[in-house]
Amino acid sequence: MMEEAGNGGPTEDAVAEFAGLASDEHIDESASALERNGITSLVVDSGEQARDAVRSILPIGAEVFNNTSRTLEAIGVAEDIERSGLYQPLRPRLYQMDREMQAREMRQLAVAPDFVVGSAHAVTEEGSVLVASASGSQLGPLVSGAGHVILVIGGQKIVADVGTGLRRIYEYCFPLEDQRARESYGVPSGVNNILIINRAITPRRISAILVKQSLGF
Amino acid sequence: MFDYDARPVTPQVVLVGRRASSLGYELRDFLSRNGVPYDWVEIDDADRVRQLFDGDDIDPDRLPICVLPDGRRLAGATVQQVANGLGMIAAPLLPEYDITIVGAGPAGLAAAVYAASEGLRTVAIEAVAPGGQAGTTSMIENYLGFPQGISGSELATRATAQARRFGAELLLARPLVDLLREDDGYVARLSDGTEVRTRSVLAASGVDWRRLDVAGLDELLGAGVYYGAGPSEAVSCRGCRVAVVGGGNSAGQAVVRFSRYASRVTLLVRGSTLGASMSQYLVSKVSELDNVEVRTGTEVVGLEADTRLRAVVLSSRDEAGLTRLPLESLFVCIGGVPRTRGLATANLATDDAGFILTGADVTASRGALDKWPLARAPLPLETNCPGFFAAGDVRSGSIKRCSAAIGEGSMAVALVHRRLAELGAE
Repeated sequence: MMEEAGNGGPTEDAVAEFAGLASDEHIDESASALERNGITSLVVDSGEQARDAVRSILPIGAEVFNNTSRTLEAIGVAEDIERSGLYQPLRPRLYQMDREMQAREMRQLAVAPDFVVGSAHAVTEEGSVLVASASGSQLGPLVSGAGHVILVIGGQKIVADVGTGLRRIYEYCFPLEDQRARESYGVPSGVNNILIINRAITPRRISAILVKQSLGF
Repeated sequence: MFDYDARPVTPQVVLVGRRASSLGYELRDFLSRNGVPYDWVEIDDADRVRQLFDGDDIDPDRLPICVLPDGRRLAGATVQQVANGLGMIAAPLLPEYDITIVGAGPAGLAAAVYAASEGLRTVAIEAVAPGGQAGTTSMIENYLGFPQGISGSELATRATAQARRFGAELLLARPLVDLLREDDGYVARLSDGTEVRTRSVLAASGVDWRRLDVAGLDELLGAGVYYGAGPSEAVSCRGCRVAVVGGGNSAGQAVVRFSRYASRVTLLVRGSTLGASMSQYLVSKVSELDNVEVRTGTEVVGLEADTRLRAVVLSSRDEAGLTRLPLESLFVCIGGVPRTRGLATANLATDDAGFILTGADVTASRGALDKWPLARAPLPLETNCPGFFAAGDVRSGSIKRCSAAIGEGSMAVALVHRRLAELGAE
């Protein structure tokens, strides 16, 4: 995920504004707005139900790339994809490929999976989806590379509009993601690329599962 | 870093041991070739070891230790134990198969895809990993349909997924122990006692690397000496001096791969030219690499080592005396001896080098058809045992190329249909 200074996490004001779960009414309104924008949406009560919903969408044997996502890890979707044996998971396959000799194959595999499963940083009540990425590698498949996109989105990520969504990314998500990147990879993160999906023109290509529970950040 | 460079988010296999050990190499090679991501931790890395084992004592005499994703620890871990622990060991699902394929290299995988796609009950037995020798090659650039080339591992991964999609079963990580005639079919027995009943067999077990006859070499396996050039060792060769022995395409592909990582790669070729056994595109590629030296007419005659390989001693036809080449790793990629372990019990006729005779070669071989029970002659890829076929590198007279093996594996399925029809099944 523009480089900012190393940080001690989001400010108290940012946490107060962006960490709280949206009301059921707001979540339902966002789901309806997503539908109007061509994004298939489903509202579930819990992470467990979201996990079941992902299972019900992914065909057995499908080639699946799971984006790095706290949400997917927390609810067991990452494990389902990588270890259940039900799918062809791309991440373990990519991880063990030869970076020198197979760079081209890696790029091609990662950019156009049959299914990509990930999350988002904000969903607006008008039905727009915002995703930020440091390298940008997550965004190409979401825009058009992947055959199908499944996004699992915690209910605390509902915001009023795109402007607020952008503030959520800079003021709340980035400090947390930066901490995670420094811990996990030893490098800072950055809000280098931001994708805003206002409308999906291919019917049923993008599915959003909104969870009435705080998941990820 | 790109998102797809990040490690899988689920727990990984962790191996703890000494890199310079044959057991450690065997496990790394097995996991790498089966596409299982793993972390390697040197036993001397006290911080990592303490963190991993939470301060528990570990027995340095029982290495390597494998920590499975569920936290279980296997001390002195073997390939079979690790495969078991990872749930890679599956029992056959059917009481009988139409075709059992021994070996899941290019020939075996091609046969599995075609047989299963045509509705035959299909199982393939593979002792190590799908892909065979081709699965370890860095880039096959002359395989039809892939203008930019395709790595052997990627070809194997795709073929395996394709075979499974059509319903073929793969029994992994257990070698074949014996294969005996039973009624009109055969029974294959694996090292763990698993039995597979089948109406026809296709031997597609390929070749093993030919051993390099140099004193002390076997003691250094995994400690600087390696047969083949599997992907597991390439990264660890970064900045090192490496030599590859061999003049074939496998040696050429190994040189290209290591040239990306190693500071210096020396290709040692016994023959007087590279072009004799290596495809021209590889000869050109190897010749263009700045950090690669090709020494023709050269053989390894000695090794220098302490706890691991330090140098090789070379004899050259063009130079008097011996020369010393300091290096960290030696990769032996010479020739191939047929992998017929477990198949021998079927009493297959072979040529002098042990490759399996088929078709007209069986008919022409004195005594090979003494126990042949049928009025017809063996079919083109059929051995001296009815319904028992051979394809790919293990077959006498085969062209030792990936695409040729794939062609033979596919062709064998058509012949299996004829055999099954003869048995009254089709």
